[in-house]
Amino acid sequence: MKMKERKRPGWADWADHIRSLDDPANASAKPEALDDLVVLDLSSRSMAGCFCSSLLAELGAKTIRIEPPGGDLVRTYSPGGILYKDTGLAYLQEGRNKFHVTLNLETEEGREILESLAGQADIVIETYPAGTMDKWGIGYEELSAANARLIFASITAFGQFGPESTSGQYDYDNVSQARSGIQYQTGEVLPEGSNCREKPYAVPTKSGTSMAWATSGTFAALGILAALYHRDMTGEGQAIDVATPEAYERLNDYALHWYADQQVVNERFGNLDASLWLYGFYPTKDGGVFLGGLRLEMWQALVDMLGKWDEWGAGEWTSLAPFTQRDLQLKYQSMIDPLTSQYTSEELTSKSIEYSKSGRLAPITPVVAEIVSPWKTMHDENWLDRGVFTPVQDPVYGSIICAQSQWKATGTPPRTKWVCRPVGYDNGYIYLKYLGYGPEALKELEAGGII
Amino acid sequence: MPGPFENYVKNKFKKPGPLKGVRVLEVCTLLFGPAGPSFLGQMGAEVIKIELPPLGDVTRSLTPFGWFYKEQSPAFMHINPNKLYLALDLHIDVGQQIFKELAAKADIIEFNLRPGVTSRWNVGYEEIKEINPGIIYIEKNGFGQWGTYAEENRPSNDGAAQALAGYAWISSFPGRPPLKQSIWVCDVFGALMGEVAVLSALHYRKRTGQGQYIEMSQSENIMRAMGWVWPYQQFAGKSAEPSGNRDQCVCPADTFLCWDEKFAAVAAPAPEEFRGLCAAMKRPELAEDPRFRDHSERLKDENALAILKIISDWAITKTADEIQSLGKEFGFAAVRLHDARDMNEDPHRRARGFVKEIDDPMYGRYTEHEFPVMMSKTPPKTKWTVRPVGFDNDFIMTKILGKSQSEINDLYRHGVLGKWKDQQGRRPPADWDQKSGSILRR
Repeated sequence: MKMKERKRPGWADWADHIRSLDDPANASAKPEALDDLVVLDLSSRSMAGCFCSSLLAELGAKTIRIEPPGGDLVRTYSPGGILYKDTGLAYLQEGRNKFHVTLNLETEEGREILESLAGQADIVIETYPAGTMDKWGIGYEELSAANARLIFASITAFGQFGPESTSGQYDYDNVSQARSGIQYQTGEVLPEGSNCREKPYAVPTKSGTSMAWATSGTFAALGILAALYHRDMTGEGQAIDVATPEAYERLNDYALHWYADQQVVNERFGNLDASLWLYGFYPTKDGGVFLGGLRLEMWQALVDMLGKWDEWGAGEWTSLAPFTQRDLQLKYQSMIDPLTSQYTSEELTSKSIEYSKSGRLAPITPVVAEIVSPWKTMHDENWLDRGVFTPVQDPVYGSIICAQSQWKATGTPPRTKWVCRPVGYDNGYIYLKYLGYGPEALKELEAGGII
Repeated sequence: MPGPFENYVKNKFKKPGPLKGVRVLEVCTLLFGPAGPSFLGQMGAEVIKIELPPLGDVTRSLTPFGWFYKEQSPAFMHINPNKLYLALDLHIDVGQQIFKELAAKADIIEFNLRPGVTSRWNVGYEEIKEINPGIIYIEKNGFGQWGTYAEENRPSNDGAAQALAGYAWISSFPGRPPLKQSIWVCDVFGALMGEVAVLSALHYRKRTGQGQYIEMSQSENIMRAMGWVWPYQQFAGKSAEPSGNRDQCVCPADTFLCWDEKFAAVAAPAPEEFRGLCAAMKRPELAEDPRFRDHSERLKDENALAILKIISDWAITKTADEIQSLGKEFGFAAVRLHDARDMNEDPHRRARGFVKEIDDPMYGRYTEHEFPVMMSKTPPKTKWTVRPVGFDNDFIMTKILGKSQSEINDLYRHGVLGKWKDQQGRRPPADWDQKSGSILRR
């Protein structure tokens, strides 16, 4: 999308003022919120833990990623198995700002080294099946005995307690999405009389990216920061337990309550929403758009914009409530589809912006948003201008696009300094700094399979 | 069960939440805005939700196919637990003054209005900073405070963010139209990310005494969570495309139709997990097959499709529960797809207290989620649900601002403070006894 010639709004001075204070282009000159902290990330097979430590690392925490010799399995997570300099593309996003060391926790000596690191750390993040760290003698109880200020976060498939917590199974995003209850209610509706063997796409459908992992990782980061506040006030550390399916399920809204009270199972409703109108995806000449308007006037504005104000009697409507009903949603969807299909997505978007200036209900206008490919997203001037896709110049990996600057801040904005490091890249630096191990000691540890 | 979480659920109320002593003011509507302060409230912060009288938050009207729970929107209830409810008209200068009095005693302020509106209401960051330099002030909306889309003054919703981020595009089956999530993922995940920003700022304030201003966009958050998509596009020179239930980065990882017409999700990328799955399928030789032995090799499209076809042909001969049990027995990840009934009845969720009953003075006993972070020394807790518009006005004015009854009466008389409209979602439930839930009773 090209930046168009445009007239700026009356509040442009506000926009300029805020930009002068929080433009991510200037982030590197600013202080970092967490640069007083040391984080150990022991994530095993789970991008949730890596996402969690990335968030802390983006805020300046000195984050030490600990992998088994040879690297963690997450390094291989990549579409088509593509490896770029021995690193999968998923990990190429979540190795950011971290120091990478290797350590074999299956050995006594490896565990002793971990104890030394944990004694000097503020935060430990781990994703082994519950009980694994305890079995190794490096669980929260052991590590906190030596460092009472330690915040120890576990992110797992089932949590640290409860009947299934002893299953020993690792946490995978797709399985957690399935367990959350969200996948069940998402997807295309199976047409009546058909079945999912004929239409294998009309089934419960998971999110296209690792959203359950991203969510549990972010909840864990929030818990860690809350624990940090408690520690700032009292000096006391603690253990944190996040189960990925629960974290993701928390993003779901009323489905739990609906069943509890009405015994209604929330079922798939395609690209509509059981509790919202106007709210859905609609076809256009060249693709599709999202249309939204959760106030009556916005729905009326859409009808007006599509030239159906009189025919549909929009002037008589007094409430949005009836439109939420299932049958009416389906009826109006079938009436809107052919109308939006007459326009391109861009034409409809422009129409809504135009309507906000000169329409009957202006400045009220419906939400119109083109459903774009991630390719188009990545090349959209608006996001580029806001620093979301600024490539990171990495000394090892070169120029890599990492989504970043997910929020802007005047004081301590997040930033991405490097994207990743090869396996064991920082062994020399980290083990010298925290354990006083020079080249000779490292050589011995390497020979012993410890690092 | 490990020590730090022994009797966790039973002893939860013996300890405070981690954010005890933190005060939050929220002027938010719908989902992206209000969901964040709720997380802080569940972690023990005092959250004052400020609504414009008499209608308040739009979510009060949002119900699945018209189902109100005791005249309240269940969506509003889920998004807004643990808050105090103030109805203050910020269009009026006295209302703005009251807001500033509260802001002087607050740690965090959250808005989700269109860009520039807080400034027009004289309660923008610059004004508040003057009276409370340590304030952490966050604004969340569709497109942030600057940039082309923000300046076009575009409205936004969660669905718009899913569309604009490319998230819907990659979440369907191949060859099918883009698919919207059934949850408001950009809203609630974005709200969560916003609180990461806020609490990191709180730590920085503890270190330096300095507050700050934070802004975030509904769409940009979800882009951060889309991981491999961006470098893939950079290297491949083309768009990332959808793959249905197959995880493109992990193999095998997919959802399979089972003999009982239910679904099971399976993942087994690690060597011993894959060997376990092959053993469960009674095809141990597959683990040594050169196409499948190594994870990166197995992820190649033709190999991935081949192994998934084999698993799919096996899964259809088993029930979903059998596959789940085999996962436990043979050491790979597997689960029967859960629905809303499972969410309610699953003993594991109940034992962890993640799904529990709230005993609310106004809305009675109902089923709700606990905060999904368990903390051994400072357990977060969902305690009570929503209140009618302006329900806690008098308490807040008295307790926090020390206003006298005659001052409060004046504020009502001039429309600065307001109460609910007599409408579903705004007023108390029909069976309300005129006093339950009131903190300050007259």
